Amino acid sequence: MTQISRSKGISGSARLDLLVSLLLIAAAIALPFMVDSRYVLGQIVLALFYATIASQWNLLFGFAGVFSLAQMAMFAFGGYVTAMICFYFGWNVWAALLPGALATVVFSLVVGLACLRLTGVYVALLTLAIAQTMYLLIVTDTECFTMVGSICRQFTGGAVGFARFGDLGTRALLKGQWLVGNYAIIATLFTVTMIVTYVIVKSPIGLAFKALKDNPGYAVARGVNRFQAQLLVFGISAFFTGLAGGFYAAHFQAIGPGILSMSQLMFIIAITVVGGVGTFWGPLVGTIVLVGADELMREMGEFRTLGLGLIIALSILLMPKGLVGRVGDLVRWLRHRNAAGPKTKLQENRAAAGE
Amino acid sequence: MLDILTAILIAGLTTGALYALATVGLSLVWGSMGMLNMAHAAMLTLGGYSAYTFSTALGLPAFVGFLGAIVVGAIAGGLLYILIVRNLLKNDKATFESNVMIATVGIGIALENTILLTYGGQPLKQPISATGSLVLGPLSLPYQNMLIVFVVIVLMAVIALLLGRTRMGRAIRATAQNREAAQLMGVAVNRVYFQVLVLSGAIAGVCGVMVSSMTQLSPPLGNDPMLKAFIMCVVAGLGNLPGAVAAAFGLALFEAFVQYVAGARWGFPTLLFVVIAVLIWRPAGLFGRVQIRRM
Amino acid sequence: MNNAAKPPLLRLANVVSGYSELKVLKGISFDIEAGDFITVVGPNGHGKSTLLKTISGLVPLTSGTISINGGPTLAKPHAIAALGIAHVPQGDMLFPEMSVLENLLMGAYLAPSKAEIDRRLDEVFTLLPKLSDRRNQVASSLSGGERRMVGIGRGLMMGGQILLIDEPSLGLAPLIIEQIYGVIAELSRSGRTILLVEENPARVADLANHLHLLDDGVIVWSGPPAELLARDELLATYLGG
Repeated sequence: MTQISRSKGISGSARLDLLVSLLLIAAAIALPFMVDSRYVLGQIVLALFYATIASQWNLLFGFAGVFSLAQMAMFAFGGYVTAMICFYFGWNVWAALLPGALATVVFSLVVGLACLRLTGVYVALLTLAIAQTMYLLIVTDTECFTMVGSICRQFTGGAVGFARFGDLGTRALLKGQWLVGNYAIIATLFTVTMIVTYVIVKSPIGLAFKALKDNPGYAVARGVNRFQAQLLVFGISAFFTGLAGGFYAAHFQAIGPGILSMSQLMFIIAITVVGGVGTFWGPLVGTIVLVGADELMREMGEFRTLGLGLIIALSILLMPKGLVGRVGDLVRWLRHRNAAGPKTKLQENRAAAGE
Repeated sequence: MLDILTAILIAGLTTGALYALATVGLSLVWGSMGMLNMAHAAMLTLGGYSAYTFSTALGLPAFVGFLGAIVVGAIAGGLLYILIVRNLLKNDKATFESNVMIATVGIGIALENTILLTYGGQPLKQPISATGSLVLGPLSLPYQNMLIVFVVIVLMAVIALLLGRTRMGRAIRATAQNREAAQLMGVAVNRVYFQVLVLSGAIAGVCGVMVSSMTQLSPPLGNDPMLKAFIMCVVAGLGNLPGAVAAAFGLALFEAFVQYVAGARWGFPTLLFVVIAVLIWRPAGLFGRVQIRRM
Repeated sequence: MNNAAKPPLLRLANVVSGYSELKVLKGISFDIEAGDFITVVGPNGHGKSTLLKTISGLVPLTSGTISINGGPTLAKPHAIAALGIAHVPQGDMLFPEMSVLENLLMGAYLAPSKAEIDRRLDEVFTLLPKLSDRRNQVASSLSGGERRMVGIGRGLMMGGQILLIDEPSLGLAPLIIEQIYGVIAELSRSGRTILLVEENPARVADLANHLHLLDDGVIVWSGPPAELLARDELLATYLGG
């Protein structure tokens, strides 16, 4: 009895996920035809980057239980490696994207080997230290590596970073419509990332994490190795985060240490928390809400960071499962209310039969 | 040779004292309530600026500024408990650890930004500082560094006495070691949590004044000592106060040495690389103290 | 004068409690008067520890009332401790990094004065002289029997009106169990009110003046210990012979 209703529940939610996905893809295709403003489209592309990074942080924290504060460091690593390959070796951007993502995976595995055998808070401490150190090393880099004209260039680009190392080729191809081209590329990146994330969450690894969360002792007894599973997910999420970093550098044709700043990391955390930690659609919902709120707060300029900080604290306080979690509670409550009548009757019957 | 050694030793001991103070504040809160306070850095900064307000802006004597920093830090810690932590504790206990981290990350950035909006971004001079040096033959000991080491030693002794000898300190330790048993003895754990956050806020206030007296006041003031304190905690194990002090002095001396040999920029990264390498090689932690701790 | 109207020291009325969805106690009612030695026996995992934890407030009450001297039911364990409930929990739950003396002093956390603490300390050291020898030893380095004694000593330091003792024989060698029960007998003789939880009714046959048999969250039988021990069918059904 319960078996049947449970499997029905899963296919029901899968059907809902599919429906939402198809609607979103339709909306994403329609979007460039409806949006005229170059500014708005540009902000949407930026939002897609945020959503991609947040979805990978959510995969790490919400599903695999790794509280990593090196998420922007992974993003920056992918972006920097891609930019540096193009800058120093003159490669085409498209050719440098994959090496950038793979280098991020290697970086993440080194970090993961050091961190993931520790427990939750230590992971946070160490990953934040690594991210901050990366930032400090880049910003304080003053040694000349090459001379570009009469200007001294540091190996890491220093406080300025890299620029003009190539683009995604959309300008040459689409001329004035290049932004639509970039939008299509980044939207595809986001879609692919979400599909892979979905597959991981529903795969044996995703189930193993669920088991670890529900009953750690039992999961370990069943042969689930938390360390190896977390390391694997750490690597996968680093791949997509690093890849997104490469695309980010290519889209803006520039990359600098600014993306490593605390407020950028904060924005990603805020997106995930507001949307709903550990929910599949949370990061997307959070991105829409927070990028929207950010646009409104633009008027307030300097109060933006203050507002973000308060949004993070208040939303974890008032809705720990985020907006998606709140909607889920509401749906469950409605279902429960509808199902309450027959269910009580069923229990009575069972009790009568059993005793 | 001797003067180089002295320079490394003075720098190492001074920063070690500052790191120890930052680490103890963080570790105390973790040990007694299983909470990693990510807003600790901002509370440090708040302490530094409070001393500035009391001394320079209001023109009160230096020790009033110093006391002011302690009081403001303590109030900030108390408010953090009343407004945030108390409410998070009412929710699911299993998610408290990560929820409180996220919430304090938000509070920290909001507080740092409030300081930026209030005082502006330009660096200010911390009025509570000593100038000059004590010259002993070939040795030259700056008064400022001596003052810092002295204040930290006194404060550590006060904390040790408070935790070791008083009824309140015993209740704090009892709560850290077995919360349920402490409740059975009549300890109101919520009051203990409040006391611990007030105490750590006061420590953060002192630490902020000391750190800014070595450099300058700026809104991200607390971030650097906090970053170091994080690594000290990883090495010593959170909640282990004597270990935190030992790790702080040991690693600060190592950092000072590397900074002298390889340049200022490489001090901390080298430290971090060493810690990472050791963690890959020996996952149990440097002293075998990094362990699962469930409250 | 008006003894009939005086409320009992502890009264449980229709007590239901448990952990979130799972109800462990399903309606428990009984009284304890001053000087009583009440024992609750029953198989493991049927709510004996939960009963004590519910009285001391560690497990929240779902419904029903628990009144001490006729007062209202309280929720927080620290407030219940202040009313004179001294709970010696299962597995001792000592403060592992504290010395024996500090553990005992924690027991007297709510004591009104230094003189009172010293008086209780004297009392405990007279009853358990071994603790006096070990006063500066760290609790985690003690043997099982010594830890149990610290646990009981810490409970006595609370100076409560009722001592709740949870399975004092758990995990100890027979000889040590005998010692511990000797101490408990001594406490009972000195007039203390005791509510004790035990798996084996034979151990309390000579001590308890009343016994409740707890099975699956309800009291299925009550009476003097000798009577239970004489009824083979009850022993066989509930306590496996």
